Amino acid sequence: MSVLEVRDLSIRFGGLQALQDVNLEVNEYEIVGLIGPNGAGKTTAFNCITGFYTPNTGTVRYRGQDVTKSPPHVKAAMGFGRTFQNVGMVKSSTALENLMTAQHAKAGYDAGAGLLGLGAALNGEKRLREKADAILDLLGLQSIRDKKVGGQSYGTLKLLELGCALATDPDILLLDEPTSGMGPEESDELGERLLTLRREFALTMLVIEHHVPLVLRVCDHVYVLNFGRLLAEGKPSVIQSHPEVVAAYLGGEAPEALEATEETAEDAELDAQLEDAVHAHHDDTVALPAQKTSDEEPPAPARPRRARTSTSTPRPKKRAPRKDASS
Amino acid sequence: MTALDERAGAPEGTDAPDPHGERPGRDFGPVRWVPRLLVLVPLAYWILFHIPNTESYVAVATDAAIYSIVGLSLNIIIGYTGQLSLGHQGFVGVGAFTAAYALTVQGVPFAVTFVLAGVLAALFALVIGLVALRITGLYLALITLVFGLALETSLFEVPEFTNQGGGQPAVRPDWLFDDGRYYLFCLAFLAAAVYLDYRLLKSKVGRALLAIKENERVAEAFGVNVTLYKLIAFTLSGTLAGVAGALLAFRIGIVTGSGFGFFLALTFVLMTVVGGLGSRIGVIAGSSLFAVLDYILTQTPVKVAEEFIFRTDALKQFAPQFIGAFLLLLTLTQFPGGIAQQNKAILDWLHGKRFNPHDLLHPGKESGPGTVEGSSVRA
Repeated sequence: MSVLEVRDLSIRFGGLQALQDVNLEVNEYEIVGLIGPNGAGKTTAFNCITGFYTPNTGTVRYRGQDVTKSPPHVKAAMGFGRTFQNVGMVKSSTALENLMTAQHAKAGYDAGAGLLGLGAALNGEKRLREKADAILDLLGLQSIRDKKVGGQSYGTLKLLELGCALATDPDILLLDEPTSGMGPEESDELGERLLTLRREFALTMLVIEHHVPLVLRVCDHVYVLNFGRLLAEGKPSVIQSHPEVVAAYLGGEAPEALEATEETAEDAELDAQLEDAVHAHHDDTVALPAQKTSDEEPPAPARPRRARTSTSTPRPKKRAPRKDASS
Repeated sequence: MTALDERAGAPEGTDAPDPHGERPGRDFGPVRWVPRLLVLVPLAYWILFHIPNTESYVAVATDAAIYSIVGLSLNIIIGYTGQLSLGHQGFVGVGAFTAAYALTVQGVPFAVTFVLAGVLAALFALVIGLVALRITGLYLALITLVFGLALETSLFEVPEFTNQGGGQPAVRPDWLFDDGRYYLFCLAFLAAAVYLDYRLLKSKVGRALLAIKENERVAEAFGVNVTLYKLIAFTLSGTLAGVAGALLAFRIGIVTGSGFGFFLALTFVLMTVVGGLGSRIGVIAGSSLFAVLDYILTQTPVKVAEEFIFRTDALKQFAPQFIGAFLLLLTLTQFPGGIAQQNKAILDWLHGKRFNPHDLLHPGKESGPGTVEGSSVRA
């Protein structure tokens, strides 16, 4: 039985169809990637899965149980640990306090016992503190144990946020762009860490990620979202060379439009990769019904060169209304 | 290091004295307790033994203790949960009327009146809490304000409760009749409130509230039932306010509706903010200050100076408002942590460091749960 199963998920915000018939499945002990251009609906999908949004149609199943309508805190207690795109932590509290707050659902005593200071609460607090310390050790963050989270660097925050998600004692971890704000080396390190965490805690993960090398390295399976629909799914190596995906990321099959822009050595190398990819065979890619509909759409306008690192690239005006779907 | 060194060669030296007064490497050992004890022991003696036997200001000190409980109660809503209540005098009033009515009219035992006052005020607070689930910020402030005003002109005017408008008597039992003893009685309640507040922050409840204050989504992702914990915060706050109301009723001896007007609500919010949101000591200091302000202005040498300068004692009528407004401005612009922000400065000073009210050494620490930045007050 899969850990997480999403069937025909659709959600609409006013006139905007943010997600349309999205299906995805995460099996035990898998790291599944969710990629796609800005505004594709990745974070919206996360919010639907974790209960922050209620989808218009579709179901979310956790180990066979229908949890579509369960509120976020219930899901957190069930074993959904998540991080946010722009760091979700209590900034005015210290690292230790954050890690203790994150263990709220697993504290082992109720509010009344806590207020009266009964033995159960005192023992519970001790346990929470020990676990928080263990996580700080694990992530090498003991140095900021008693420091306010607010003043730390973005990379540190991202790492600590991962720690907080771990502190919720998750069964499935949903990470929203864990490497944003990190350099390439830090990103590689994080990839290594994710693999280690999976091994040590027997975790299942669903990861939104833009950093392609990381996706290739850690993910067992990748889903690609574009304009709220699933564009493709498959093994990362296959997805990398999927023409539709390449088109979605680079804006149509218009390589000559790209040549006009400035090139660096790295870009040239990636170009070569992509070029190969476009011409490569891709028989084993799973074709999805969604693909047909996207064929009917007019070819997307050519996007600026650096669309791959799409966090900072402004989108062409035509697509502007879709932007809201991203978060 | 000599004074000359300090002036001349400091820049490159790693052991240059910190310009803000930190002198590293100076450990006073157990001796550091001496200045503390020199301050704390007389203070404790004064609070526990001197005040109860000083007829001139034992009443006003009782007020300070009661206001402190209200301050702690309000701090749970504003300081920890980040909501705004401008109708807190309503909860206090409900507690006061309940206690007076139950004791005098219904003949309920003295001890039980406190339970009733707490429970009834908690119920009212629960209703406001239910509103707060749907409305936040400015509109919540408005609704709580209207709630307080409405209570003042409706429930607090009902003839049965107010003894046909003459005020509901609330007479203390004989064993508490002595003002000094009643003051200690109130102090005991304050101690209980402080313990509750301490436990709140040391348990998952307080952490959940702080998370809610900062970001409800993060709180939810951490597994906090935001709805439940907001209601817990309001209920707890209402209970404390209700008990404080009962104490206030027995302190004054007669409860009238006009005693719980909007100005009281303003004073409550002011004293909590000026004291320092989120800080226990700060809130108690702020509450005490506002409780005794009137007394200071009318009964102490300040009054003599006042009359000497202005040739009138009319000043006392509006001076508290001005002082309150001034302190609020000072808090919002200069010392976001309120009086509590001086805590560390004072402790450092007692340790032999320089007095540094702006806490420049650890700017990060200023923005604790005690700040008024963010959603809490400006909302």
